[in-house]
Amino acid sequence: MVEMAAFVLRLITPLLLIVIAFLCFYSLRYGRRQEHALIALDDENRSIRYPVLYWENSLGRGSGSDIRIGDITVSRDHAVLLRRENGWFITDTGSKAGVFINGVKTNGRQAVYVGDKITLGMTELTLRRADDPTTANQRQKIKEKKERKTVPCPAILSVMTLYFLVLSGECFLNMGNADVLPHTFLLIAIMWGFYALSSKLFKRKSFELEALAVLLSGSGILLTAAHDTRQAYSQLVAMVLGMVGFCLMLWFIEVPDRVMKWRILIYLVTIGLLGITLILGKNLYGAKNWIIIGPFSIQPSEFAKMAYIFVGAATLDQLQTKKNLLGFIFVTGICIGLLFFMSDFGTALIFFVTFLVISFMRSGDMKTVILAVAAAVLGVMLILFIKPYIAERFQAWGHVWEYAQGAGYQQVNTFIYSASGGLFGVGMSKGNLQYVFASESDLVFGLASEEMGLICALAFGFIIGGFMIYARALATRSRSTFYSISACSAGGLLVFQAALNIFGVVDLLPLTGVTLPFISYGGSSMIACWGLLAFIKAADERTYSFRRRKLRKPQPENEQPKTNAEEAVTQVQI
Amino acid sequence: MVLIMTLAFFAGLIYHAVNLMVHSAEWASMPTNAHLSERAGLEFAGTIYDRDGVVLAESVDKKRVYNSDESIRKACVHLVGDDSTNISTAVQTLYRSELTDFNFIYGLGLPDSMKQGRDITLTVDSELQKAALHALGDYKGAMVFYNYKTGEILCMVSTPAYDPANVPEDIETNSAYEGAYLNRVLSSAYTPGSTFKLVTSAAALSEYPDAENFTYHCEGAEEIGGKEVVCYRVSGDVDLKNALADSCNIYFGHLSLMLGKEKMTEYAEKAGFNGYRMVDGAQTAKSVFNVTNAGENDMAWAGVGQYTVLETPLNMAMISAAIANGGTPVKPYFIRKMGGAFGTSVTEGKTELDSRMMSQAVADKLTELMDYTVTTSYGKDYVCSSLDVCGKTGTAEVGDGAHAWFTGFCRDEDCPLAFAVIVEYGDTGYGVAIPAATAVLEKAAERYKH
Repeated sequence: MVEMAAFVLRLITPLLLIVIAFLCFYSLRYGRRQEHALIALDDENRSIRYPVLYWENSLGRGSGSDIRIGDITVSRDHAVLLRRENGWFITDTGSKAGVFINGVKTNGRQAVYVGDKITLGMTELTLRRADDPTTANQRQKIKEKKERKTVPCPAILSVMTLYFLVLSGECFLNMGNADVLPHTFLLIAIMWGFYALSSKLFKRKSFELEALAVLLSGSGILLTAAHDTRQAYSQLVAMVLGMVGFCLMLWFIEVPDRVMKWRILIYLVTIGLLGITLILGKNLYGAKNWIIIGPFSIQPSEFAKMAYIFVGAATLDQLQTKKNLLGFIFVTGICIGLLFFMSDFGTALIFFVTFLVISFMRSGDMKTVILAVAAAVLGVMLILFIKPYIAERFQAWGHVWEYAQGAGYQQVNTFIYSASGGLFGVGMSKGNLQYVFASESDLVFGLASEEMGLICALAFGFIIGGFMIYARALATRSRSTFYSISACSAGGLLVFQAALNIFGVVDLLPLTGVTLPFISYGGSSMIACWGLLAFIKAADERTYSFRRRKLRKPQPENEQPKTNAEEAVTQVQI
Repeated sequence: MVLIMTLAFFAGLIYHAVNLMVHSAEWASMPTNAHLSERAGLEFAGTIYDRDGVVLAESVDKKRVYNSDESIRKACVHLVGDDSTNISTAVQTLYRSELTDFNFIYGLGLPDSMKQGRDITLTVDSELQKAALHALGDYKGAMVFYNYKTGEILCMVSTPAYDPANVPEDIETNSAYEGAYLNRVLSSAYTPGSTFKLVTSAAALSEYPDAENFTYHCEGAEEIGGKEVVCYRVSGDVDLKNALADSCNIYFGHLSLMLGKEKMTEYAEKAGFNGYRMVDGAQTAKSVFNVTNAGENDMAWAGVGQYTVLETPLNMAMISAAIANGGTPVKPYFIRKMGGAFGTSVTEGKTELDSRMMSQAVADKLTELMDYTVTTSYGKDYVCSSLDVCGKTGTAEVGDGAHAWFTGFCRDEDCPLAFAVIVEYGDTGYGVAIPAATAVLEKAAERYKH
């Protein structure tokens, strides 16, 4: 009877998981405001209107420019038009002819207002509001798409509550004791508490991204709790710390220009985190990447990943400078070098792939060449370092069954127990993979597959991939290239790490011993993943919308026609 | 780039899922899987029946229980298997996931109360099995009897056998149990000796219209290709009919040389040599006829089933079955009925023709020759008093002794059996292999002849 009840709960679990994931991503996809141009640049001599679609727009003759001007007197990368809280600005990015506002040559970042004439080479552009009918024949009709109804967050969280209760109910039935119940209640309480904080205190509209992260973290915590209740408590604490870190990160990166000011310090922190590990680190499980302080063991390389994203991302006007680019390459080289000395091969690979993602996101014209060269140099470095590893660690890759008792032991057991689990699993706490080393960290995908079933395990993978797709969808509409780059690279990092973890245990890639984001047991990893999530969250313009409105409040709401472009922004915002 | 990366990640996940789906039964049944007990999932497996519904193995109270008769348990061990998976061609090894009704959807996650295995009914007759086991006695050897019209295997026994309910502790070390995990009918290939003369005869009859009238003078020994070929007796002037009845090596040696390597290989391959056979998912050992590097003397010996020629008992039985069935053998099988997944459909063993080995005319002529051989050389009543048996013995020289063969078929409406019997170191086919076959044939006549 008990067995049957547990079986029924097992059938419900994947269903709930899929429903939650669907609702969250549906809300993320359709809950966004429709995008349309707020301002436009009119070339009145030639009767061309250029709608300004983004928060940061590059102007130039080059094919990569957001606003492409067909005039040979305009440089390839001529200028950048940025939107900030207090209006629109233009920055000359090393053009030959310079940028003139109303006939005055600019120097550095300068504010522009509706009606201003911006001169780039022979081209004269007038800044106008997008709905300004000055050039009636060019006026773009803005089609308002119907907004789709999305499920409100409390409803999603209620389904999640049910999901956690079903999971712990199954644990209760399988284990015959209530050991997992305190974790479940704490988890549910933290989830609702975090939601209340986010919606009431920070007035943030969307909570789906955080909900998905709680879903993954919570599933990992309950999986751990089913085998080791003490470890699960420390994982819960790590999740709360992760949430705190998430909020701090969101505060810090609210103003990209502030981040840019602090970048030298961030460089040093990134290198420092890895440097300290190399000097003070303890060698646990084959890689020298642990620092032990009293009862805590910390993996600073997890935090270095977070800091590294700061190194790579930059605002568009900074991005174009050689100094920024060289700094980025320089720090990357040092980081990968340090990681090799630590024998932390998995993290080194993650840095390398993140470097490639960031390079791709950043690349303009000239930069592509420099980055390609840097990538090649780093690639060669990587190969030179991998060589000795191939013999030792990778011998089992692709032939795990021949090394079933040795280097392929973890993978072979993952296969055997994943197959035993089928689509719905053998039940929480009833798995046998738990007795294999690192089952809750490196092999957690196999453990989830065995105990919760393949559907759940795959759903976890797809949710992590979903973060990346969401980050990419945000890239074109975020307030700064800083957000686009950091969101995509954080998403890319999470996906690549998930791929290394999952494909490592199922023998599609060599086993490198990296964690599965959010789900694997490991405090440093949990906190760092929440930190990375903040980059994606920040790229969603809704995140800071309330704050901006609040800033604007002191301004009197008068009836006179608004001429300042910045006010056009406010109007649409509401 | 980031999108491609994500899609590649998704593709990898799907690849893994498909890979897992394809291999799940194999992986989940790994002996190291701690979800499985010593009985490796058999505690909830379905029942295995013989053709008359006699229970050969069933699961009672999470234990695998075999037939109560020790002789039947031993006689059927290579067909049914034991709790382990040591016998690779046994039903409990090949069809374990079907017996336990393992499927990818639930894995091993079903509650015990919902676990229900699938039953399998075999084509064998446990009474014949028992008779065959007793007939082989302490000899190592193998016997297979199958219906050459339907393909059903009625009897398939291999010795040494052991009791699956009580596996001897010294099974791995005691030489009396050497090869006990092998079903010799399927997994062993032996020198066929004189039984191979059926293949040489078929080749000659197919190639030369007047082969029947070829005569040769046998002096009991003759130098061919620089070395001697010897016979058991001096036959004098012999034609094909008497050469087969006398089992004259010199006659068939010359026939082989006359046909040549190419033709001999062609007809041997038609008869299933240089290939494997599949019986209900069990792959047999390879029967071999390779004369690429054979000299003249070797070629003569190859024509009488010596040299490096090897054959499985199953293939031998199929050659007899082909002769009995007008030149084309029916594929043998041992699974008569198997319950479908989720207790739904039922799959049944089907009668299927294999590829033709010889023409109807050649088969008819060989039947006549084998009938004559039994009549003149062994005596019809000596072979079986109640069935009309046509056959051919063989004495395969293997250096330190000789294996005794007997193969043939019954011309009987109620009992259309083709068979092959091998007794390792049984010395002569006539003295050991025929009596062993007789015991089973008489039993079959008793049970099936009206």
